[in-house]
Amino acid sequence: MDLVEALAELKEEEALEITRKRLGTDEDPNAILADAREGMGIVGSRFAAGEYFIPDLVYSGEILRQVTDMVKPKLVQGKEVKKLGKIVLGTVAGDIHDIGLNIVEFMLDTNGFEVYNLGVDVPASKFVEKTRETGAPVVALSGFLTLAFDSMKDTIEALEAAGIRKNVKVMIGGGQIDEQVQKYTGADAYGTDAVTAVTLAQKWFNINN
Amino acid sequence: MQNDVSHKKRNIKIIACETVIEEMLSLMPADVSYRTLDFGLHVNPQSLKNALQQAINDASEEADTIVLGYGLCSQALVGIEAHNCTLVVPKVDDCIAIFLGSAQAYLEQHRQCPGTYYLTRGWIKAGDTPFTEVDTLIKQYGQKKAYCLLNQILKNYSRLAFIDTGNGDIEPYRSYTQNTAERFGLKYQELKGSGELIRKMLFGPWDDDFIIVRPGKTVTFLDFKDTRSIETDSAPEEVLHI
Repeated sequence: MDLVEALAELKEEEALEITRKRLGTDEDPNAILADAREGMGIVGSRFAAGEYFIPDLVYSGEILRQVTDMVKPKLVQGKEVKKLGKIVLGTVAGDIHDIGLNIVEFMLDTNGFEVYNLGVDVPASKFVEKTRETGAPVVALSGFLTLAFDSMKDTIEALEAAGIRKNVKVMIGGGQIDEQVQKYTGADAYGTDAVTAVTLAQKWFNINN
Repeated sequence: MQNDVSHKKRNIKIIACETVIEEMLSLMPADVSYRTLDFGLHVNPQSLKNALQQAINDASEEADTIVLGYGLCSQALVGIEAHNCTLVVPKVDDCIAIFLGSAQAYLEQHRQCPGTYYLTRGWIKAGDTPFTEVDTLIKQYGQKKAYCLLNQILKNYSRLAFIDTGNGDIEPYRSYTQNTAERFGLKYQELKGSGELIRKMLFGPWDDDFIIVRPGKTVTFLDFKDTRSIETDSAPEEVLHI
Protein backbone atom coordinates (compact mmCIF):
# COMPACT_ATOMS: atom_id res chain seq x y z
CA MET A 1 0.00 0.00 0.00
CA ASP A 2 1.34 3.46 -0.91
CA LEU A 3 0.33 6.86 0.48
CA VAL A 4 -2.14 7.57 -2.32
CA GLU A 5 -3.97 4.32 -1.63
CA ALA A 6 -3.76 4.69 2.17
CA LEU A 7 -5.45 8.10 1.97
CA ALA A 8 -7.98 7.00 -0.62
CA GLU A 9 -8.88 3.98 1.54
CA LEU A 10 -8.90 6.10 4.73
CA LYS A 11 -6.19 3.99 6.40
CA GLU A 12 -4.90 6.41 9.02
CA GLU A 13 -2.14 4.33 10.61
CA GLU A 14 -0.80 3.15 7.27
CA ALA A 15 -0.80 6.71 5.88
CA LEU A 16 1.12 8.05 8.87
CA GLU A 17 3.57 5.15 8.89
CA ILE A 18 4.32 5.56 5.16
CA THR A 19 4.81 9.31 5.67
CA ARG A 20 7.16 8.71 8.60
CA LYS A 21 9.24 6.25 6.58
CA ARG A 22 9.43 8.49 3.53
CA LEU A 23 10.47 11.48 5.65
CA GLY A 24 13.42 9.38 6.88
CA THR A 25 14.82 9.16 3.35
CA ASP A 26 16.38 11.72 1.00
CA GLU A 27 13.13 12.12 -0.87
CA ASP A 28 11.80 15.63 -1.55
CA PRO A 29 8.96 16.12 1.01
CA ASN A 30 6.96 17.84 -1.72
CA ALA A 31 6.57 14.45 -3.36
CA ILE A 32 4.77 13.24 -0.21
CA LEU A 33 2.36 16.17 -0.43
CA ALA A 34 1.82 15.44 -4.11
CA ASP A 35 0.78 11.88 -3.24
CA ALA A 36 -1.46 13.19 -0.45
CA ARG A 37 -3.14 15.45 -3.02
CA GLU A 38 -3.67 12.53 -5.35
CA GLY A 39 -5.18 10.49 -2.51
CA MET A 40 -7.47 13.36 -1.55
CA GLY A 41 -8.49 13.69 -5.19
CA ILE A 42 -9.69 10.08 -5.11
CA VAL A 43 -11.55 10.69 -1.83
CA GLY A 44 -13.24 13.71 -3.42
CA SER A 45 -14.30 11.71 -6.48
CA ARG A 46 -15.69 8.94 -4.30
CA PHE A 47 -17.63 11.50 -2.27
CA ALA A 48 -19.02 13.10 -5.44
CA ALA A 49 -20.01 9.64 -6.67
CA GLY A 50 -21.88 8.90 -3.43
CA GLU A 51 -19.47 6.14 -2.35
CA TYR A 52 -18.10 8.16 0.56
CA PHE A 53 -20.18 10.20 3.00
CA ILE A 54 -19.51 13.33 5.03
CA PRO A 55 -17.90 11.52 8.00
CA ASP A 56 -15.50 9.81 5.55
CA LEU A 57 -14.63 13.17 4.05
CA VAL A 58 -13.98 14.60 7.51
CA TYR A 59 -11.83 11.59 8.38
CA SER A 60 -9.76 12.02 5.23
CA GLY A 61 -9.26 15.67 6.22
CA GLU A 62 -8.06 14.56 9.65
CA ILE A 63 -5.51 12.11 8.16
CA LEU A 64 -4.41 14.80 5.73
CA ARG A 65 -3.90 17.30 8.56
CA GLN A 66 -1.59 14.88 10.38
CA VAL A 67 0.37 14.08 7.22
CA THR A 68 0.77 17.79 6.45
CA ASP A 69 1.83 18.56 10.05
CA MET A 70 4.57 15.93 9.74
CA VAL A 71 5.77 17.08 6.31
CA LYS A 72 5.69 20.88 6.67
CA PRO A 73 8.67 21.25 9.07
CA LYS A 74 10.77 19.23 6.60
CA LEU A 75 10.04 21.45 3.63
CA VAL A 76 13.12 23.38 2.53
CA GLN A 77 13.67 26.12 5.09
CA GLY A 78 14.98 29.53 4.26
CA LYS A 79 14.49 29.14 0.56
CA GLU A 80 11.70 31.46 -0.47
CA VAL A 81 9.29 29.49 -2.59
CA LYS A 82 7.74 31.69 -5.21
CA LYS A 83 3.97 31.45 -5.04
CA LEU A 84 2.09 31.04 -8.28
CA GLY A 85 -0.69 33.51 -7.59
CA LYS A 86 -3.16 34.82 -5.02
CA ILE A 87 -6.59 33.35 -4.44
CA VAL A 88 -9.24 34.63 -2.04
CA LEU A 89 -11.31 31.72 -0.71
CA GLY A 90 -14.26 31.40 1.65
CA THR A 91 -17.70 29.98 2.38
CA VAL A 92 -20.31 32.60 1.53
CA ALA A 93 -22.64 34.38 3.96
CA GLY A 94 -25.29 32.20 5.58
CA ASP A 95 -23.36 28.96 5.16
CA ILE A 96 -21.13 27.49 7.84
CA HIS A 97 -19.80 24.40 6.05
CA ASP A 98 -16.04 24.15 5.73
CA ILE A 99 -15.10 20.51 5.25
CA GLY A 100 -14.76 20.91 1.49
CA LEU A 101 -13.44 24.44 1.88
CA ASN A 102 -10.47 23.28 3.92
CA ILE A 103 -9.68 20.49 1.47
CA VAL A 104 -9.72 23.03 -1.38
CA GLU A 105 -7.41 25.28 0.64
CA PHE A 106 -4.94 22.41 1.09
CA MET A 107 -5.07 21.48 -2.59
CA LEU A 108 -4.50 25.06 -3.76
CA ASP A 109 -1.86 25.78 -1.11
CA THR A 110 0.21 22.67 -1.80
CA ASN A 111 -0.06 23.32 -5.52
CA GLY A 112 1.80 26.56 -4.95
CA PHE A 113 -0.95 29.16 -4.71
CA GLU A 114 -1.12 31.85 -2.03
CA VAL A 115 -4.52 31.25 -0.47
CA TYR A 116 -6.40 33.72 1.73
CA ASN A 117 -9.00 31.53 3.44
CA LEU A 118 -11.61 33.82 5.02
CA GLY A 119 -13.46 30.94 6.73
CA VAL A 120 -17.22 30.47 6.88
CA ASP A 121 -20.30 32.73 6.76
CA VAL A 122 -18.23 35.41 5.05
CA PRO A 123 -20.13 38.60 4.14
CA ALA A 124 -19.84 39.85 0.55
CA SER A 125 -18.14 43.02 1.83
CA LYS A 126 -15.31 40.95 3.33
CA PHE A 127 -14.66 39.22 0.01
CA VAL A 128 -14.54 42.64 -1.66
CA GLU A 129 -12.20 44.03 0.98
CA LYS A 130 -9.76 41.10 0.85
CA THR A 131 -9.74 40.97 -2.93
CA ARG A 132 -8.96 44.66 -3.07
CA GLU A 133 -6.32 44.47 -0.33
CA THR A 134 -4.44 41.50 -1.83
CA GLY A 135 -5.08 42.27 -5.48
CA ALA A 136 -5.92 38.59 -5.94
CA PRO A 137 -7.11 37.90 -9.49
CA VAL A 138 -9.04 34.77 -8.46
CA VAL A 139 -11.90 34.46 -5.99
CA ALA A 140 -13.23 31.03 -4.96
CA LEU A 141 -16.65 30.89 -3.32
CA SER A 142 -17.83 27.83 -1.44
CA GLY A 143 -21.31 26.87 -0.26
CA PHE A 144 -22.96 23.58 0.61
CA LEU A 145 -26.58 24.66 1.00
CA THR A 146 -28.76 25.63 -1.97
CA LEU A 147 -29.53 28.76 0.08
CA ALA A 148 -25.88 29.71 -0.42
CA PHE A 149 -26.37 30.13 -4.17
CA ASP A 150 -28.07 33.48 -3.52
CA SER A 151 -25.15 34.58 -1.35
CA MET A 152 -22.75 33.61 -4.13
CA LYS A 153 -24.79 35.76 -6.51
CA ASP A 154 -24.80 38.63 -3.98
CA THR A 155 -21.03 38.33 -3.48
CA ILE A 156 -20.33 38.48 -7.22
CA GLU A 157 -22.68 41.46 -7.53
CA ALA A 158 -20.79 43.14 -4.69
CA LEU A 159 -17.50 42.64 -6.57
CA GLU A 160 -19.21 44.22 -9.58
CA ALA A 161 -20.53 47.14 -7.52
CA ALA A 162 -17.06 47.70 -6.08
CA GLY A 163 -15.70 47.96 -9.63
CA ILE A 164 -13.34 44.97 -9.31
CA ARG A 165 -15.36 42.21 -10.98
CA LYS A 166 -13.59 42.83 -14.28
CA ASN A 167 -10.22 42.21 -12.62
CA VAL A 168 -11.09 38.82 -11.17
CA LYS A 169 -12.16 35.35 -12.20
CA VAL A 170 -14.67 33.74 -9.86
CA MET A 171 -15.12 30.02 -9.30
CA ILE A 172 -17.86 28.44 -7.20
CA GLY A 173 -18.13 25.01 -5.63
CA GLY A 174 -19.11 23.03 -2.60
CA GLY A 175 -22.53 21.56 -3.11
CA GLN A 176 -24.73 20.30 -5.89
CA ILE A 177 -23.58 22.95 -8.31
CA ASP A 178 -24.14 22.80 -12.06
CA GLU A 179 -24.09 25.10 -15.08
CA GLN A 180 -27.50 26.61 -14.28
CA VAL A 181 -26.26 27.63 -10.83
CA GLN A 182 -23.07 29.05 -12.34
CA LYS A 183 -25.11 31.20 -14.73
CA TYR A 184 -27.50 32.26 -11.96
CA THR A 185 -24.67 33.39 -9.69
CA GLY A 186 -22.66 35.06 -12.47
CA ALA A 187 -19.53 33.01 -11.72
CA ASP A 188 -16.98 32.24 -14.42
CA ALA A 189 -16.73 28.54 -13.64
CA TYR A 190 -17.79 25.88 -11.16
CA GLY A 191 -16.35 22.71 -9.75
CA THR A 192 -17.76 19.68 -8.01
CA ASP A 193 -14.51 18.59 -6.37
CA ALA A 194 -11.28 20.07 -5.02
CA VAL A 195 -9.18 18.90 -7.96
CA THR A 196 -11.26 21.08 -10.29
CA ALA A 197 -10.41 24.13 -8.15
CA VAL A 198 -6.72 23.48 -8.83
CA THR A 199 -7.28 22.81 -12.54
CA LEU A 200 -9.25 26.06 -12.90
CA ALA A 201 -6.65 28.07 -10.97
CA GLN A 202 -3.83 26.66 -13.11
CA LYS A 203 -5.76 27.53 -16.25
CA TRP A 204 -6.52 31.06 -15.07
CA PHE A 205 -2.94 31.71 -14.02
CA ASN A 206 -1.68 30.19 -17.29
CA ILE A 207 0.24 27.46 -15.55
CA ASN A 208 1.00 24.48 -17.71
CA ASN A 209 1.24 21.21 -15.92
CA MET B 1 -54.17 34.50 -15.18
CA GLN B 2 -56.56 31.71 -14.24
CA ASN B 3 -55.95 28.42 -15.92
CA ASP B 4 -58.65 26.33 -17.55
CA VAL B 5 -57.35 23.27 -15.72
CA SER B 6 -59.07 24.65 -12.65
CA HIS B 7 -62.49 24.22 -14.23
CA LYS B 8 -62.41 20.55 -14.91
CA LYS B 9 -62.25 17.59 -12.64
CA ARG B 10 -58.70 16.43 -12.11
CA ASN B 11 -57.18 13.38 -10.53
CA ILE B 12 -54.62 14.52 -8.00
CA LYS B 13 -51.94 12.42 -6.45
CA ILE B 14 -49.41 13.39 -3.80
CA ILE B 15 -45.88 12.05 -3.84
CA ALA B 16 -43.89 13.10 -0.80
CA CYS B 17 -41.04 12.29 1.51
CA GLU B 18 -42.20 10.30 4.53
CA THR B 19 -41.46 13.20 6.87
CA VAL B 20 -43.69 15.54 4.82
CA ILE B 21 -46.50 13.00 4.47
CA GLU B 22 -46.44 12.71 8.26
CA GLU B 23 -47.59 16.34 8.43
CA MET B 24 -50.18 15.91 5.68
CA LEU B 25 -52.04 12.81 6.78
CA SER B 26 -54.44 14.45 9.23
CA LEU B 27 -55.55 16.88 6.49
CA MET B 28 -55.49 14.52 3.51
CA PRO B 29 -58.80 14.64 1.56
CA ALA B 30 -60.39 11.21 1.19
CA ASP B 31 -60.35 11.35 -2.61
CA VAL B 32 -56.64 12.19 -2.90
CA SER B 33 -54.24 9.28 -3.08
CA TYR B 34 -50.63 9.52 -2.03
CA ARG B 35 -47.34 7.72 -2.22
CA THR B 36 -44.58 7.98 0.33
CA LEU B 37 -40.88 7.85 -0.50
CA ASP B 38 -38.14 6.94 1.94
CA PHE B 39 -36.58 9.82 3.93
CA GLY B 40 -33.11 8.29 3.54
CA LEU B 41 -33.13 9.09 -0.19
CA HIS B 42 -32.29 12.74 0.54
CA VAL B 43 -28.70 11.82 1.41
CA ASN B 44 -27.96 11.14 -2.26
CA PRO B 45 -29.67 13.61 -4.62
CA GLN B 46 -29.24 11.30 -7.62
CA SER B 47 -30.97 8.41 -5.83
CA LEU B 48 -33.79 10.73 -4.78
CA LYS B 49 -34.14 12.01 -8.34
CA ASN B 50 -34.31 8.47 -9.75
CA ALA B 51 -36.83 7.26 -7.18
CA LEU B 52 -38.99 10.37 -7.59
CA GLN B 53 -38.98 10.19 -11.40
CA GLN B 54 -40.02 6.54 -11.24
CA ALA B 55 -42.83 7.36 -8.80
CA ILE B 56 -44.03 10.21 -11.07
CA ASN B 57 -43.98 7.96 -14.12
CA ASP B 58 -46.02 5.34 -12.26
CA ALA B 59 -48.48 7.89 -10.88
CA SER B 60 -49.05 9.65 -14.19
CA GLU B 61 -50.96 6.55 -15.33
CA GLU B 62 -53.71 7.40 -12.86
CA ALA B 63 -53.34 11.12 -12.09
CA ASP B 64 -53.14 14.18 -14.29
CA THR B 65 -51.80 16.44 -11.52
CA ILE B 66 -49.11 15.37 -9.08
CA VAL B 67 -48.21 17.47 -6.05
CA LEU B 68 -44.67 16.82 -4.82
CA GLY B 69 -43.89 17.05 -1.13
CA TYR B 70 -40.34 18.16 -1.88
CA GLY B 71 -38.38 21.36 -2.40
CA LEU B 72 -35.21 21.85 -4.42
CA CYS B 73 -33.67 19.26 -2.04
CA SER B 74 -29.96 19.62 -2.93
CA GLN B 75 -30.94 19.97 -6.59
CA ALA B 76 -32.53 16.49 -6.64
CA LEU B 77 -35.62 18.03 -8.24
CA VAL B 78 -33.70 19.61 -11.13
CA GLY B 79 -34.23 17.56 -14.26
CA ILE B 80 -37.41 15.87 -13.05
CA GLU B 81 -39.75 15.49 -16.02
CA ALA B 82 -43.49 15.89 -15.96
CA HIS B 83 -44.12 13.72 -19.06
CA ASN B 84 -47.90 13.53 -19.45
CA CYS B 85 -49.00 15.11 -16.18
CA THR B 86 -48.73 18.50 -14.45
CA LEU B 87 -46.37 18.75 -11.48
CA VAL B 88 -46.95 21.13 -8.58
CA VAL B 89 -43.90 21.76 -6.39
CA PRO B 90 -43.57 24.13 -3.42
CA LYS B 91 -40.97 26.79 -4.28
CA VAL B 92 -38.66 26.10 -1.33
CA ASP B 93 -35.12 24.91 -0.77
CA ASP B 94 -36.13 21.94 1.32
CA CYS B 95 -38.70 20.59 3.74
CA ILE B 96 -37.60 22.88 6.59
CA ALA B 97 -39.45 25.68 4.77
CA ILE B 98 -42.48 23.40 4.37
CA PHE B 99 -42.58 22.76 8.12
CA LEU B 100 -42.03 26.43 8.99
CA GLY B 101 -44.84 27.43 6.61
CA SER B 102 -42.99 29.40 3.95
CA ALA B 103 -39.67 30.00 2.20
CA GLN B 104 -39.56 33.39 3.91
CA ALA B 105 -39.94 31.92 7.41
CA TYR B 106 -37.04 29.56 6.69
CA LEU B 107 -34.89 32.38 5.39
CA GLU B 108 -35.57 34.44 8.50
CA GLN B 109 -34.51 31.55 10.77
CA HIS B 110 -31.50 30.89 8.60
CA ARG B 111 -30.40 34.53 8.74
CA GLN B 112 -30.79 34.58 12.52
CA CYS B 113 -28.52 31.57 12.97
CA PRO B 114 -26.95 29.88 9.92
CA GLY B 115 -25.42 27.21 12.16
CA THR B 116 -28.75 25.59 12.96
CA TYR B 117 -29.59 21.94 12.70
CA TYR B 118 -33.35 21.40 12.50
CA LEU B 119 -35.33 18.43 13.80
CA THR B 120 -39.01 17.56 13.64
CA ARG B 121 -41.04 14.67 15.00
CA GLY B 122 -40.98 13.10 11.53
CA TRP B 123 -37.21 13.29 11.15
CA ILE B 124 -36.61 11.85 14.59
CA LYS B 125 -39.06 9.02 13.84
CA ALA B 126 -37.32 8.35 10.52
CA GLY B 127 -34.14 8.04 12.61
CA ASP B 128 -31.66 9.33 10.09
CA THR B 129 -29.78 12.40 11.34
CA PRO B 130 -26.10 13.03 12.12
CA PHE B 131 -26.99 12.36 15.76
CA THR B 132 -28.40 8.92 15.05
CA GLU B 133 -25.38 8.14 12.90
CA VAL B 134 -23.26 7.84 16.02
CA ASP B 135 -23.84 4.09 16.33
CA THR B 136 -22.95 3.44 12.71
CA LEU B 137 -19.86 5.61 13.06
CA ILE B 138 -18.81 3.84 16.26
CA LYS B 139 -19.00 0.50 14.44
CA GLN B 140 -16.93 1.88 11.58
CA TYR B 141 -14.42 4.00 13.47
CA GLY B 142 -14.59 3.12 17.17
CA GLN B 143 -16.14 5.28 19.91
CA LYS B 144 -13.44 7.91 20.35
CA LYS B 145 -12.92 8.58 16.67
CA ALA B 146 -16.66 8.51 15.95
CA TYR B 147 -17.32 11.31 18.44
CA CYS B 148 -14.31 13.20 17.18
CA LEU B 149 -15.68 13.06 13.61
CA LEU B 150 -19.16 14.04 14.67
CA ASN B 151 -17.84 16.97 16.65
CA GLN B 152 -15.87 18.06 13.60
CA ILE B 153 -19.02 17.88 11.46
CA LEU B 154 -20.96 19.91 14.02
CA LYS B 155 -18.21 22.33 15.00
CA ASN B 156 -19.76 25.33 13.23
CA TYR B 157 -23.27 24.53 14.42
CA SER B 158 -24.50 26.36 17.48
CA ARG B 159 -28.26 25.73 17.59
CA LEU B 160 -30.44 22.64 17.54
CA ALA B 161 -33.98 23.71 16.70
CA PHE B 162 -37.03 21.55 17.22
CA ILE B 163 -39.88 22.55 14.91
CA ASP B 164 -43.18 21.98 16.65
CA THR B 165 -45.60 21.36 13.79
CA GLY B 166 -48.44 20.79 16.24
CA ASN B 167 -48.86 17.29 14.90
CA GLY B 168 -49.37 14.43 17.39
CA ASP B 169 -47.67 13.92 20.72
CA ILE B 170 -44.44 15.86 20.49
CA GLU B 171 -43.24 15.46 24.06
CA PRO B 172 -40.87 12.48 23.52
CA TYR B 173 -39.41 14.20 20.44
CA ARG B 174 -39.01 17.50 22.23
CA SER B 175 -37.12 15.88 25.08
CA TYR B 176 -35.03 13.84 22.63
CA THR B 177 -34.00 17.10 20.94
CA GLN B 178 -33.28 18.78 24.27
CA ASN B 179 -31.09 15.85 25.36
CA THR B 180 -29.30 15.75 22.02
CA ALA B 181 -28.60 19.48 22.20
CA GLU B 182 -27.10 19.04 25.64
CA ARG B 183 -25.04 16.01 24.58
CA PHE B 184 -23.46 17.85 21.66
CA GLY B 185 -23.15 21.28 23.29
CA LEU B 186 -25.76 22.99 21.11
CA LYS B 187 -28.29 25.60 22.14
CA TYR B 188 -31.80 24.16 22.17
CA GLN B 189 -34.58 26.22 20.69
CA GLU B 190 -38.17 25.43 19.87
CA LEU B 191 -39.71 26.94 16.74
CA LYS B 192 -43.39 27.11 16.06
CA GLY B 193 -44.16 25.38 12.78
CA SER B 194 -46.95 26.35 10.41
CA GLY B 195 -49.25 24.20 8.32
CA GLU B 196 -49.86 26.97 5.80
CA LEU B 197 -47.80 25.57 2.97
CA ILE B 198 -48.99 22.01 3.65
CA ARG B 199 -52.62 23.20 3.45
CA LYS B 200 -51.94 25.04 0.19
CA MET B 201 -50.27 21.93 -1.23
CA LEU B 202 -53.40 19.93 -0.47
CA PHE B 203 -56.16 22.45 -1.12
CA GLY B 204 -54.58 25.23 -3.20
CA PRO B 205 -54.31 27.86 -4.38
CA TRP B 206 -51.08 26.93 -6.11
CA ASP B 207 -49.90 30.48 -6.38
CA ASP B 208 -46.46 32.13 -6.52
CA ASP B 209 -45.32 29.85 -3.71
CA PHE B 210 -45.44 26.97 -6.19
CA ILE B 211 -43.79 25.86 -9.39
CA ILE B 212 -46.18 24.53 -11.99
CA VAL B 213 -44.50 22.19 -14.45
CA ARG B 214 -46.61 21.49 -17.52
CA PRO B 215 -46.76 18.09 -19.28
CA GLY B 216 -43.60 17.53 -21.29
CA LYS B 217 -41.61 20.12 -19.31
CA THR B 218 -38.71 19.67 -16.91
CA VAL B 219 -38.02 21.18 -13.49
CA THR B 220 -35.10 23.63 -13.64
CA PHE B 221 -33.03 25.32 -10.95
CA LEU B 222 -34.30 28.71 -12.09
CA ASP B 223 -37.90 27.62 -11.45
CA PHE B 224 -37.04 27.82 -7.74
CA LYS B 225 -35.81 31.37 -8.13
CA ASP B 226 -37.95 34.31 -9.07
CA THR B 227 -35.96 34.67 -12.26
CA ARG B 228 -38.01 33.34 -15.17
CA SER B 229 -36.30 30.73 -17.27
CA ILE B 230 -34.98 32.06 -20.58
CA GLU B 231 -36.52 29.15 -22.42
CA THR B 232 -39.92 29.75 -20.84
CA ASP B 233 -42.85 29.39 -23.13
CA SER B 234 -45.49 28.88 -20.50
CA ALA B 235 -47.79 31.61 -19.33
CA PRO B 236 -46.42 33.66 -16.44
CA GLU B 237 -48.38 34.66 -13.33
CA GLU B 238 -50.36 31.50 -13.47
CA VAL B 239 -52.46 30.43 -10.50
CA LEU B 240 -53.94 27.00 -10.31
CA HIS B 241 -56.90 26.14 -8.13
CA ILE B 242 -58.03 22.71 -7.15
